Formats: sequence, C-alpha cells, structure tokens
Amino acid sequence: MTLENFYEKHYKKLMLFSYAILLISIIFLGYKLATTGDIIERDVSLKGGVSATVYNENLDLNEIENYLKENAKDFRVRALTDNIGKQTGIFIEVADVNENELRSLLENKLTNVNFDNEDEYAPGTTSTGFAASSYKGLLIALLFAFIFMSIVVFIAFKTFIPSIAVISAALTDILAALVVVNLLGIKLSAAGIIAFLLIIGYSIDTDILLTTRLLKRREEGPFYERLSHAMKTGLTMTFSAIAALGVSYFVAIPEELKQIFLIIIIALVFDIITTYAGNAGILIHYCKKKNIT
Amino acid sequence: MGLKKYLKFRVLFLLFWILASLIAINPKFSTEGVVIKAVEKNSSASSAGIIFDPSAPLTNREVIKRVNGQDVNNLEDYARILDKINDSGIVRILTDNQEYVMLKEGDLGITVEKASSSNIRRGLDLQGGTRVVLEPEEKLSNQEMSDLISTMENRLNIYGLSDLKIRQNNDLSGNTFVVIEIAGASQEEVRELIASQGKFEAKIGEEVVFIGGKKDVTFVCREDGTCSGIRQCNEFEEGYQCTFEFQIKLSQEAAKKHAEVTSKLDANLSAAGGYLSKPLDLYLDDILVDSLQISSSLKGQAATDIAISGPGIGANRDNAIEDATKNMNKLQTILITGSLPTKLNIVKIDPISPVLGEQFSKNAISIILFAVLAVAVVIFIRYRDLKISLPLLIISSSEILIILGIAALIKYNIDLAAIAGIIAAVGTGVDDQIVIADEILSGKKRKELINLKEQIKRAFFVIFVAYATGIASMIPLFWAGAGLFTGFALTTILGISIGVFITRPAFAAIVENLEEN
Repeated sequence: MTLENFYEKHYKKLMLFSYAILLISIIFLGYKLATTGDIIERDVSLKGGVSATVYNENLDLNEIENYLKENAKDFRVRALTDNIGKQTGIFIEVADVNENELRSLLENKLTNVNFDNEDEYAPGTTSTGFAASSYKGLLIALLFAFIFMSIVVFIAFKTFIPSIAVISAALTDILAALVVVNLLGIKLSAAGIIAFLLIIGYSIDTDILLTTRLLKRREEGPFYERLSHAMKTGLTMTFSAIAALGVSYFVAIPEELKQIFLIIIIALVFDIITTYAGNAGILIHYCKKKNIT
Repeated sequence: MGLKKYLKFRVLFLLFWILASLIAINPKFSTEGVVIKAVEKNSSASSAGIIFDPSAPLTNREVIKRVNGQDVNNLEDYARILDKINDSGIVRILTDNQEYVMLKEGDLGITVEKASSSNIRRGLDLQGGTRVVLEPEEKLSNQEMSDLISTMENRLNIYGLSDLKIRQNNDLSGNTFVVIEIAGASQEEVRELIASQGKFEAKIGEEVVFIGGKKDVTFVCREDGTCSGIRQCNEFEEGYQCTFEFQIKLSQEAAKKHAEVTSKLDANLSAAGGYLSKPLDLYLDDILVDSLQISSSLKGQAATDIAISGPGIGANRDNAIEDATKNMNKLQTILITGSLPTKLNIVKIDPISPVLGEQFSKNAISIILFAVLAVAVVIFIRYRDLKISLPLLIISSSEILIILGIAALIKYNIDLAAIAGIIAAVGTGVDDQIVIADEILSGKKRKELINLKEQIKRAFFVIFVAYATGIASMIPLFWAGAGLFTGFALTTILGISIGVFITRPAFAAIVENLEEN
C-alpha cells in the first residue's frame, strides 16, 4: 500500500487515535488530581524532606530498604555507582521523617559508618515551603513556555486550525508523557520538570516541518510527496534524538540527567503518533476543505 | 555578495569561532603542579603579598613551584612539606611570579588545588562542596539585601572560607532567596555561620554598651598569640572546659557609653581588688555566651581595651580546645562583620561530595561523546553518505566547543544543569541540520529553478520558528526555583543561538559544496 492510499483510507481514524490519547491522558490526570491533589508524584526536591548520602562500598540496598520500610512511609533508596558500575554508596530520600530522625535511624543500622565524617555521611534537606515554591515556579515556567510557543506558532502560520493542530500535538506529548511517568511510578524531580520544557521544543520541530511542507510549499510537488518528504526528514530527526537520548540515558550516572533523558524519550515516542497521525490527519482534512493539493 | 563568496564567508565565520573558543578554553594536555585557588583576607598569606584574582583565567593561576626550597609537584607534596614546618616557622613560597615569605601561624590562609587543564570552570555539582538556599525571615529592601550579601561574604571570608559564590534570586511569586555555593567547607560550619544572624550585644544589666560591627568595635585581635588564644583548660565531671580570650578595641563612642553605664554601678570592694556590682554580659543572638566581671577600677572610665572571653567544651582536652577555638573564631568573625539585617532560614542544603563531582565531570564527557556518536550512526544509516554524516559530526562537536568556549570567556560555571542544556542544544542542532540536509538533497533531486539561496531560506524558516519557541520556553526558567536552573536555560539559549547563527549556516555551506562537487 502506498503512503497515499494508507492516509486516504485511514486519516480520520489516525486523527481520532491521536486525540483519543489526549482525551485519555486528560481523564487519567484529572482523576489523579481529584484523588491525590496532584498530577504527579514529587520527589524530595519538589515536596520537601531530607536526603542522605552514605559513602560505603559494603551496603546492602535491599536490607536498608526493608529496614526503612518499618520506620518511614515516603522514602526512596538508590545505589550510587562509579563509572564502571561498582557500588560506591547509597542515596536515601525521605519525606516523612526529619534530619535527626533519619540520622539516628541509620546510626542504629549502619554501625560501620562514621556519621560525623562528611566524606562518609552527607545529609541534605529541602524545606517543604521552598520545595512547594520551586514546584509552583517551575509549573508557571512551563505554562509560560507553552503560551509563548503557542504565540510563535500562530505568528508563523497565521491560520487557526493548522496552528491549533501543532499546539495540541505538543500538549498531547506532554500530558501522555506525564501519564507514563505516573504509570512507571517515577517520582518527579525538579530536573524532570525541565524535561517537560524541553519536550515543547522537540515536539514542535517535526510539526512545524510537516505543516510548512504541506501548506507553504505547494510548488515542490504533489501533496503526498510533500508529506512523505516531511515524514522522512522528521522521522530522521526523531530517531536521532531518541538514539542520542537513549545512549545518554544508559551512560549517565547523575539521577537528575537520567530522568530528563527518559522523559524526553517517552514524549518523542508519542510525538511520532501526534505528528504523523494527529497533525497529519488534521492537515489532510484541512487541505481537502481548502482545496490545497 | 556572490554565492561562492557567501558560502566561504560562513565557513570562515565558523572557523573563527572555533579558533576563538580554543583560545578561550586554552586546553592543556599535561597538567602538573599546584596552583593557588583562594587566599583568605587578613591571613599570613595575604600579608605576605599573595594576591588572588578570582576573575583570572584558570590556566593563568599562580603556580606554587617550591616551598622552603623543596619542589612541589602535586597536592601531596604541598601538604607534606607544610606539615613538617613548625608553628611560627618561616614559610617561603616560590611561585611562577615571585617568592613570598610568611610566618606559619596555624593556617597560612591559602587554598590550593591541582593545576587546571583548561579554562572551563566547573560548577559545584562537578567539583563538590555545599550549596545552601536561604530565605530572609523579613522582607528586605534592595539596600538591606546587598548589605546582607556583603556582610555574609565578609563573614565567610574572615572565617576562612574564600572559595564561594553568593547570589540573590527573586522568584515569580515575589520571594527572595540567597544562594550560597561553597567549595570545600563542612556543612556544620556553613550552617552555623550563615543561619545565625550574628547579633552580638555586650550588656551591663539591661543597657547595651556595644554591639558587633565596625561602628563600635574598631579592632579585633586574631591569630596573634599575644592578644588572642586559649587561656586555660579545666577538667570537670563530664569532660573538659577551656576558655578563650581575645582583645578588642572599642570606638570612642562605645567607650563613652561604657563610662556612662559603669558610673552608675556600685563597687563591690573585697580583698582581691573588687569588681563592680553587675558584670558585662555577652550575648550572641540573644543567648548569653559569657559574663565578665568588671574590675572596680574601671568604674566610670572610658575603657577602649576590652578582653572578650568565652568557653569551649569537649570530652577530652583536645576536643575542648578545638571547640573553644571554633567558638572564638566565630565570635571574632561576628564582632568584625556585625550582624545581618535579619535572620535567615536555611530552606535547602545539599552536600556534593568532591568524589562524586569528579565522577560526574568524567561522566559528562562520556555522555556528550556517546550522544554525538549515536546521532552520527543514525544519520549514516539514513543517508549512507559520509558527505552528510561527517560534516554533521564535525558541526555538532564544534557547537559544543563554542558553547564551552563562550562559557570559559564569560567565566560561567559548567554544572550538571548546564550539561543538560548543552545536550538539549546539540539535540536541537542535529534536528536543524537534518532539515537543512534534506532541503539541499531534495532541491537537487527536483532540479527545479529554485535557486540554492531560496532553498536554504526555506530550511531556515522552520529553523527560526523552532529557535524562537526554544528561546521563549527557556526564559521563564530564570525566575523559577531560586535560580538553580539558570545554568540550564543559559546554556540552552547560548547553544541554540550559536547553532542558528554560526554553525548551521556553515553546515549548509559545507554540504552544498560537497554535494555540488
């Protein structure tokens, strides 16, 4: 089947599929908001709490996890590894005990660690108020970024439906990625929110390319040739980004960077659907009505 | 301008930036020796004339060649040689500039580090230290805020922490934060020094005689054994208690106040010479540090020389001496700098271990290397044409180089957030280069009458729209999360701007030329 046949036959279904993802995401996040008061699970950097890094090669992650389970509800433990994957210590984040409580809890368990030496035990804290204000600030930044992006798109295309198609594709990428983040049980850090800012940029690249080729380059060839050309270019872009971020995800050691890479990869996968099913579907429909061939 | 000339210009423009970046970064392939990283104010080192300019390029820092005639090749050498020198011994430091002679009185007041291999400044994440975010308890005016920052800087400096950065950040909701990054300090010291307002009051009864700060206290004796030090230690039930003592000089005004208040007191004459009826109480942040008996001979006198004392306790003698020394140092610091305009609350404190920082630095290089390589592989699979994938690889690498070059030039610290920004910018750059490559290739296939310039103009429409949205989405970050993401926003904006104005035009030129031949 040629690309033209495929799209002619299925473009409405494709369009509906893409917007169904948006709808399901909104319902999922709405339900989450109604039941938990927030659309994501936040880590200590956005919720407030204490953290501790213990540098010791002989710590058993599972044992410490089970031990903490008895004494705290909202916590997370992960291993720190060096460049070759050898464990160098552990990192603990807890939201529901204070700094001194965490220290005495760990002191009882980890008897071979010198808690007075900052090279062995390094505590950190983030106050609830500051975390909440950071979270709010980042959400406002995200909102502004989205609004600015929308304005730029409207200025660039000066037509309502194609602009809305681009903007809703970006919105779907963000919300769907949020749903997956929730389903994977990821606790979002401040760095994770930055990833959502980046999604805006990565998402609209391919959409702008597609819309420009279909609407503004009519002399370059028949409609579906232009579509196929835009797809080839756009998919190359998306796959290079996924390849680069995927490799980075496996190479990266800092947890913050790993989270950024993972979230963008998730969004890019959705972007393939929103761009070539959702946005392309709307544009085919729009061009038929406006007699753009 | 003819097309050929224009193409040549774009490539030359890129080469100019690459060269300029290399000069700014000044990479060194062999780094040996120890350099001066910071000098404390009023220390032996600064009295000996060692001046440290924090804004000097990292690779131009003063190199310590020899100490007391012995060669210094690494940090271990330096520590070993200094360790052997007795207290009050003479230290001769020969640097690549000149020789400095000083007395060793405790600490010399120099922080040293391994010579840097380039001018790229690493942020706290990549070198280790403590980052603290503070929130003033009361709303401060701009003037008060700048006073607060300079007092704090001064206080940390006098205490001996010189490798630090303090900045103010206002968020969108109107909150003001002070962010301090200190390399190589223990968290406990940092907490004590900056979270305490440092309000020092010397009272007789309810009347304040003098307070900390230059107005009342004109001189504080420090690091001079004749007028400052640990005076006595006593054993008691649970351990040891030591007493520190140091001299200060009061201003005429404060001395007059002293005369006025003491004249009202009764003299308690006894065999030992006698004291006045009320002592001089020293309060730090409203907590009584010590009460000093006032000799009855000082009644009504405008005394300018006063000895300040206080305790230190510990399980054994050494601990007690250490504690007393710490308390003395803190009190001296506060008497010199005065109090902060308001109390500050620590809202976030993060320790970053130097080991982890070192590891992250190496990791960052691997991430960028592997990411660029992965892109090159995808591009090669798609085009099967080295004439496209090779320039893309070169252009992306030069983009990273220019970002780092500009960061080195404007002395911007590269931290984890900045690395994420670099990766984001390079990712966008690759996307744009693919658009350009495809435009050029498809233009050739169609062999239409659209000229090359028009073709590139079209590619750049997409690029400019993407660029505008990229910039727009980064700007709000400057006001979020106490500015902890500024590095990310700045490198991303820098990266995509370099891409749009420098590297991408050159990429288009290179691919066109290669494809034409």
